[in-house]
Amino acid sequence: MLKVFKYTLIDLARNRFVLGYALLLLLVAQGLFALEDDPTKALLSLVQVVMALVPLIALVFTVVYMYDTLEFTQLLAVQPIRRSSILGGQLLALALALLLAQLIGLGLPLALHSPSLAAAVLSLSGSALVLVFAVLGALIALKQREKARGVGVALAVWFLFVLVYDAVLMWGMFTLSDYPIEPFVVPLAGLNPIDLARIMVMLQVDLSAMMGYSGAIYKNFFGSAAGTGVAALILLLWVTIPVLFAFRVFQRKDL
Amino acid sequence: MRELKGSILLLACLNVAHVDARTWRYRSGEGASLQTVINGTASGDTVVVEGTVSEGSIRVDRPLVLLGGAHAVIDGGGEDDALLITADHVTVKGFTIRGSRRSNLDDMSGIKVNACRGTVIANNILDKCFFAIYLSGARDALIEGNTVLGEPGAEEHMANGIHLWKCSNATIRNNRVEYHRDGIYFEFVTDSRITGNTTMHNLRYGLHFMFSHRDAYEDNHFEDNGAGVAVMFSHHIAMRRNRFLANRGASAYGLLLKEINDGEIKDNTFQDNTTGIMVDGCNRIKVHDNVFRLNGWALRLFANAIDCDFRGNTFAGNTFDVSTNGSLIPNTMSGNYWDRYSGYDLDRDGYGDVPHRPLGFFTLLVEMQPYAMVFSRSLFVSLLDRAERLIPSLSPESMKDDRPLMRPPAHLSTVSVHSAEACDGDTTRDPCAPVDACSPGLAACPHLIHLRVPHG
Amino acid sequence: MAEASIAYHGVGKRYGKLWAMRSVACEFRKGEVVMLIGPNASGKTTLIKCLLGLVRPTEGHITVNGKAIGPDPHYRRDIGYMPQISQFPAALTIGQLLEMMADIRMLGKDELEDSLVEELGLRAQLDQRLSTLSGGTKQKVSAVLALRTRPSILVMDEPTAGLDPLSAKRVMQRASGVRDAGGTVLITSHLMEEVEAFADRVAYLEDGSLKFLLPVQEILASTGAKRLSEALPIMLEARLTNDAVQ
Repeated sequence: MLKVFKYTLIDLARNRFVLGYALLLLLVAQGLFALEDDPTKALLSLVQVVMALVPLIALVFTVVYMYDTLEFTQLLAVQPIRRSSILGGQLLALALALLLAQLIGLGLPLALHSPSLAAAVLSLSGSALVLVFAVLGALIALKQREKARGVGVALAVWFLFVLVYDAVLMWGMFTLSDYPIEPFVVPLAGLNPIDLARIMVMLQVDLSAMMGYSGAIYKNFFGSAAGTGVAALILLLWVTIPVLFAFRVFQRKDL
Repeated sequence: MRELKGSILLLACLNVAHVDARTWRYRSGEGASLQTVINGTASGDTVVVEGTVSEGSIRVDRPLVLLGGAHAVIDGGGEDDALLITADHVTVKGFTIRGSRRSNLDDMSGIKVNACRGTVIANNILDKCFFAIYLSGARDALIEGNTVLGEPGAEEHMANGIHLWKCSNATIRNNRVEYHRDGIYFEFVTDSRITGNTTMHNLRYGLHFMFSHRDAYEDNHFEDNGAGVAVMFSHHIAMRRNRFLANRGASAYGLLLKEINDGEIKDNTFQDNTTGIMVDGCNRIKVHDNVFRLNGWALRLFANAIDCDFRGNTFAGNTFDVSTNGSLIPNTMSGNYWDRYSGYDLDRDGYGDVPHRPLGFFTLLVEMQPYAMVFSRSLFVSLLDRAERLIPSLSPESMKDDRPLMRPPAHLSTVSVHSAEACDGDTTRDPCAPVDACSPGLAACPHLIHLRVPHG
Repeated sequence: MAEASIAYHGVGKRYGKLWAMRSVACEFRKGEVVMLIGPNASGKTTLIKCLLGLVRPTEGHITVNGKAIGPDPHYRRDIGYMPQISQFPAALTIGQLLEMMADIRMLGKDELEDSLVEELGLRAQLDQRLSTLSGGTKQKVSAVLALRTRPSILVMDEPTAGLDPLSAKRVMQRASGVRDAGGTVLITSHLMEEVEAFADRVAYLEDGSLKFLLPVQEILASTGAKRLSEALPIMLEARLTNDAVQ
């Protein structure tokens, strides 16, 4: 597995798309910090960029990379190594490459312009999102034989998590506002990894508002040590379950 | 026996005294009680006190200057008011005062002033008193440079730090009040000034006005109080250059205005509050040139606010800039800076060419369904907000700024807000130091709230 | 007759409702070159993929040197595979790729047969990125990867497609070398001259089933034709009439 990991990483390190991703993030982050006189506001704008862009890029890039290397993956699968080593090495390399790109593109400007707890939480949440959506991308690529379909499904998944989920949840919230829905709001919002990551960041940047009446239930839950633990656990599950599923699929897949 | 001793001391002193105002030195534990000495003074005399006086409640019933010398402490021993002033022109300076009785029935205090003129209370430390400084029916009082420290506890066991009732022309200057119920409390107080005070960690309000008119409070620092500052049922109050910081909680405000007419709120800074200003039932308030940063809700306008004027304010980094519970908003907004404004300025006059609608769609949603708060800063919400700005459907037509500033007002370019907490060590134990001792060494202050303020 | 190294026991593969290959039963022996021929989608690729472990048979099983193949990847140590590959990891160089594949098999330099690198003229290109290579060069790289591990089973998919005649000849010589050393060589091809020149036996697949597996000489003899390209149509025609009679 380490050998596949090593050479995949070497390949990814020179991948134009990965470098482009790092550069794009760097450009956006530096641009925001340069345009906004106030680093706090730049941070707020970055939150939106990260929450939308990071999952999209992690998804699409992983899907495309998996399809582009399919032939080579076949060649690897003919070698006397286990399939789990191949997928494990590839996934690790993909995750690390994207994380490194993000560390340079996002972590660096954040550390430079706004070294705060909020920035640290944003960087961490962004990293969690990279992992979650890279893994989901891999799973999509393994399940769909055609590249075009795979990219389509990836876009649909992104759209679902970034927009549709919130829209449906919000619609439900207003439709059912006559019922005691509070107990369901927190867990339902927390199930979507993007929402969860956003809430963790929000607890830092919108702290004042979260101390208010409406924010209190989120603050009390996710703001506590136990809540942070639960959030981390949910994100961890979002990574491990698709990974396990991906291994299962890859193990039986006809290449 | 006690009276006898007193008269002996009195006789002894008469021998060395001048004809006019005399100075008496009193050291605790030597000779008579302080009360006896006071009873022997003439109007306008000065008594210098050293050491701890713990003989119960002390009463000053004639014009007198009481000066605290070395380690001067007046300890009421839990017996009524520690120091009760019932005469005009009494000055109390440089004491540590403690041990008032805790009673909600009789408003027991560290220093109580009853129906007097020209009282001066300066540079004292009031240590864990029930009420600390209590003035009722006082005129022309000066309360300056005192450090008033209560202790954290339940509301029913706490009372106000500096409490004025039916007073006029009072000056409350450069005091520090912490851990009381209300830091400074005004009821039926007119034509008075509150300047340069710091109130923090008070259970209820840092400053509380009730039925008080034609007062001004300026250059004060209100931080981390239970519910901020409340101004209620008053008119012609001027509020200038104050800092309202970190008043957070479900019903916490930087500033709560309730039934206020003809007030002026100018050049204040509201930062890190759950709600910056809550306006409930107010008429003709001028809100000019304030800075609202990083608040949950910068401004909450109830629909019963009428003819209020918002001009030259800066809104930056707030979760919500403006919210309201109604639809008809007969107020004016113009020439404010909104960091959310995305318009343009083709004629280069410094004002955006298209109006700004500060009331976001999401703000209204949260107003209707508080739990929708969880969607703050999501892509869905920002799309909704954008759509609402382009095609207003929910926000009231009048809720807009026709001349939004393109850049924050220039005079704010050097504002930097810092927490008063940073100076705790320097000022709380030294009543003579100016309360805002931190200001000169601003850059060195380690607890500066990190802010880079826009350059104009 | 030499002993079998590979045996298919009623092997079939179904994708969805469609059988890509059905009930294939045959043996490939040590020391022979078998060429697989047949139209597109006849099941050649599926037959190969089942052996390589890329595809799991729906029915039947395959033995390699007497052992049924399963999830254990060790049997593939003996296999060299030359696919028609169009995309290698783009940013790696040829040298890095060779290094990687040796690394994965845990083989040192002395255990590798790298003379083919020179023979195919790849030495000067070792530092070139794989993304910049022409189809022919990729094919050469693929050949080197398959042959350098001294396989006892060699599987090649259209090995000469895209190669210049000289390189094609050298690659086929190497394949013959594997046979001469007692190995089994399976090659898919549609060039009849090539098949005639190198094959010991010919396997013909159509519609997912193995129609025949015969020595080249036998095919020529039974049809009376001089060349394979003439013999095959005759054989297929005869089978058609046979089927019709039955």
